[in-house]
Amino acid sequence: MRRLTAQADEASVRISEAASVRALLPAPDDSGRKATSLRSVRRPAGDAPVASELWIGVHLFTGSDALERLATRAQRFTPRVSVAPPDGLLLEVKGSLHLFNGVEGLCSCVASECAALGVQSALALSPTPLSALVAARCGQPAPGGSVTDAPVTSVGGPATGVSFTGKPFIVLGLAPLVGQLAPLPLEALRWPQETFDRLARMGVRTIGQVLRLPRAGLAKRFGTEPLLMLDRLTGRDADLRERFRARERFRRKRDLTYELESHEAVLRALEPLLRELGTFLQARQCSLMQLECFLQHRQAPATRCLLRLATPVADATRLGELLAERLNRLVLPEPVRSCELRSGALVRSMLASNTLWQPGEHGGAVSVESSGLIERLRARLGPEAVYGLQVLPGHRPENTWRAIEPPSQAASVTRKSRAARASHTTPCPPWPPFSRPLWLLPAPRLLSQRNGLPRRRGALRLRGDPERIESGWWDGGEIERDYYVAVDIHGVRLWVFRERVAPHRWFLHGLFG
Amino acid sequence: MPADYSAPPGVIRDSELARLLEHPAIWRGRSAARTETVSTGFDTLDECLPGRGWPRSGLTEILVPRFGVGELSLLLPALATLTRRPAARWCVWVTPPLDPFAPALAAHGLLLEKILIARAGASLWAFEQSLGSGACDVVMAWARRLRTREIRRLQLAAERGRTLGILFRSRSAARESSPAILRMAVEPLPQGSRITLLKSRGGRNGSIEIGHLPGGS
Repeated sequence: MRRLTAQADEASVRISEAASVRALLPAPDDSGRKATSLRSVRRPAGDAPVASELWIGVHLFTGSDALERLATRAQRFTPRVSVAPPDGLLLEVKGSLHLFNGVEGLCSCVASECAALGVQSALALSPTPLSALVAARCGQPAPGGSVTDAPVTSVGGPATGVSFTGKPFIVLGLAPLVGQLAPLPLEALRWPQETFDRLARMGVRTIGQVLRLPRAGLAKRFGTEPLLMLDRLTGRDADLRERFRARERFRRKRDLTYELESHEAVLRALEPLLRELGTFLQARQCSLMQLECFLQHRQAPATRCLLRLATPVADATRLGELLAERLNRLVLPEPVRSCELRSGALVRSMLASNTLWQPGEHGGAVSVESSGLIERLRARLGPEAVYGLQVLPGHRPENTWRAIEPPSQAASVTRKSRAARASHTTPCPPWPPFSRPLWLLPAPRLLSQRNGLPRRRGALRLRGDPERIESGWWDGGEIERDYYVAVDIHGVRLWVFRERVAPHRWFLHGLFG
Repeated sequence: MPADYSAPPGVIRDSELARLLEHPAIWRGRSAARTETVSTGFDTLDECLPGRGWPRSGLTEILVPRFGVGELSLLLPALATLTRRPAARWCVWVTPPLDPFAPALAAHGLLLEKILIARAGASLWAFEQSLGSGACDVVMAWARRLRTREIRRLQLAAERGRTLGILFRSRSAARESSPAILRMAVEPLPQGSRITLLKSRGGRNGSIEIGHLPGGS
């Protein structure tokens, strides 16, 4: 045994001198040597200095939709996890190595995480994040589950055995990095295909070859972007990675001491949960777009109440009001035994400063209240039930207005929108302002007639001269009408018209009100 | 105790009393309590109303024999003023019987961006929500039959939200009592409308006639 260990030591020293590849999971067949050789390789004499950061790059060959879950799980190895979509994951592990039994221990832990999620992946360890990622892309997929048990390496020959197929790519120092990257194929850099084609015509196919090209010429031909990437690859330039943050949700359940039957009581029981939700959101400066409430019963399946919001809301009282509005419409099949709140995805809040004035005072904003009103009305009446009005240019009465989304009051405070408002507000109508009715019927209503004059619960008296409106021949909605103001026997002023074409029917189109 | 306090304890001096009574929350019979108002745009009507205009907060009932006899044009000048104020709030129309004709409203000077239409099956609920929200200057609703208790609820909501609530009702409701702060009946005349004030806090009751809006046919 001692002899074997000594051999292993010797072998590893030789490797580290030659190429500094610390590889080092033994071949499957000599599993007996595994433990000893692995430990001993960690710090052989004459080692190149270990870089200040060590990154594990994980490339997912399959199951890249599991990337986020994998990133969340990987946070147990190190707090510095970042994702490189669509299929890459990076972990900075310098500080974690000694906690996971060295490089090999950590790599096998990460590999087993991947295997547990059923994804095929390859790992690489390197002092710069980009090189770890690139090397992992060149690695061989370890089928899920077998990674830990059947590592791929043989400690193998020195410099020539450098390893992008079959062995994990493991480099601890910056000095040997370039040498290790050199044989890797260029495609792993994921540059545009056109760049690859042009480089291939120049005979450049590996990373080593492109690194040997003169920098000035490379920048001139391909722009600075590839050059920057190569600098990040070799550690000449800093490569800052954004830290992955696991998605947070709010989820609290409250078991009730006795069963509740009325909606009011259920809402009161939800209050502490809503307060908790409020502090949860406030602490994270986040808002919600969706909130779910589950009410458990003794026998019946749980009642589910889903609240979807038009704009992100962070205020727990407002959420409570909207939830109450929604709950009041639900029928509870049985008394409620426990209630639970689950939030949807959190959205970063857009923080606004408070106004100096009270709402409605000296031009103080009213935006919060007014959007609250619209939301409350829509929560109960449906989204189409609340709308604003807009004037359209045109002569045909039916086509001169339409219902629009209520204009946001918050925006109207800004100068820009004020200018916009001035421009789009109501172009001056082409007719005198008092010749149009205040109410318009959705469609003209046919009037009965006697002796060519219109009747509506009695004869109508026509007032003044007719106004002729002829328009719309170009789009098929042609009208030819003579509009009159008429007064009925009750003194109601009406807007009626007579068709200019036969059969000259009379229609009621509006009320002056 | 201050040296100049000459009146015996328990007696309030006149100036203090007057100041106390100026408070808008105190209403004394026919005294002109200081209520915030907005001019109706009709001088003769302004003179009859307490505070010379529509009350800015509270419920106003307008009783009409049938829809469309000129009740809306009575409100247009005030609506134009309210929507064009710098800090205007919403002007909400709850379940109007027909579609308001936007170009005509714009021609009468209303700012359409401040107008919100709510079509609701539960129109009373929407009316009360809008009145009490504090986000509206004016809320108008067209109601059929209402109980006194419901009107009281609406009146309280209007005061809470500092909103002018306009409730259009049928003429037959004149016989019932109502907690609204202002009630008037509108009848069409050949050249305008006759307005009969049925109830106004601190104003005169009686009938007046006003013409059509200037420029009306």
